[in-house]
Amino acid sequence: MNLAVVAVVLVAGALGALARYAISLAFVRATRFPRAVLVVNVAGSLLGGAVLALTDWGVVDSTVSLILVTGIAGGLTTFSTWSVETLQFVLSGRWRTAVANVIINLVLGLGAATAAYFVVYWALLLRQN
Amino acid sequence: MAGWREVVAVVVGGAIGTGMRLTLDIVFPHTDTGFPVSTLSVNVVGSFVLGTLITTLWRRSSTPNWVKVGLGTGVVGSFTTFSALIVSLLGEVSRGLWMLALLYLLLSLVLGFGAAMLGVSVGRWPRSTPPALDRVDE
Repeated sequence: MNLAVVAVVLVAGALGALARYAISLAFVRATRFPRAVLVVNVAGSLLGGAVLALTDWGVVDSTVSLILVTGIAGGLTTFSTWSVETLQFVLSGRWRTAVANVIINLVLGLGAATAAYFVVYWALLLRQN
Repeated sequence: MAGWREVVAVVVGGAIGTGMRLTLDIVFPHTDTGFPVSTLSVNVVGSFVLGTLITTLWRRSSTPNWVKVGLGTGVVGSFTTFSALIVSLLGEVSRGLWMLALLYLLLSLVLGFGAAMLGVSVGRWPRSTPPALDRVDE
């Protein structure tokens, strides 16, 4: 890995963070459920699943995968805000919202990544035949 | 709201957080069939740090918004990752490594959320203030 690749990954991560910040501002605290984190985590998982399929097919190499997954998706998604916001629901006695926040992020994140993986995988398979 | 200071802080912080995560990925590499120690570590450490920040620095009225955005949304937010967890789980399950995926998911949740709790406790100690409900992101 050379310095140019590292620089591109850092810029990609910064752009992902900026997008996450913009989305957090778009969803103000008025709602009872933290949708901003859900949106970024599902979007990043979708991208991650798609890139995993592209990598399995050899369409993209490890450098492009690093930029898209470690950079863009890694910068866009977040674990810490998810865990701390969930904890805040627990501490304020809103157990149902806390449990829902954990389950919905996991189910939609895994669902989005799996769906993106298979869509890309089958699209490439069809194109090859 | 988002002034230029906040935008600069989140971009710089995002690059720093991504750089630290990338460094750990390089120092502790893992194969598709190995346990993702680096991702688990960043998520546990990041949860602890954010828990500490929201109960200390965030509570001071003198803390500028761009500092919160730069550290919380930028550095810690980009240091931790949800997509790497999901992609690793998908990769493990697709290879039939169900036990590895289950172990990784459970450890991420237990240690990650436990670290957030520990961080909040450390930040509040020795005060016994009511639960912090400050906005995490701003």
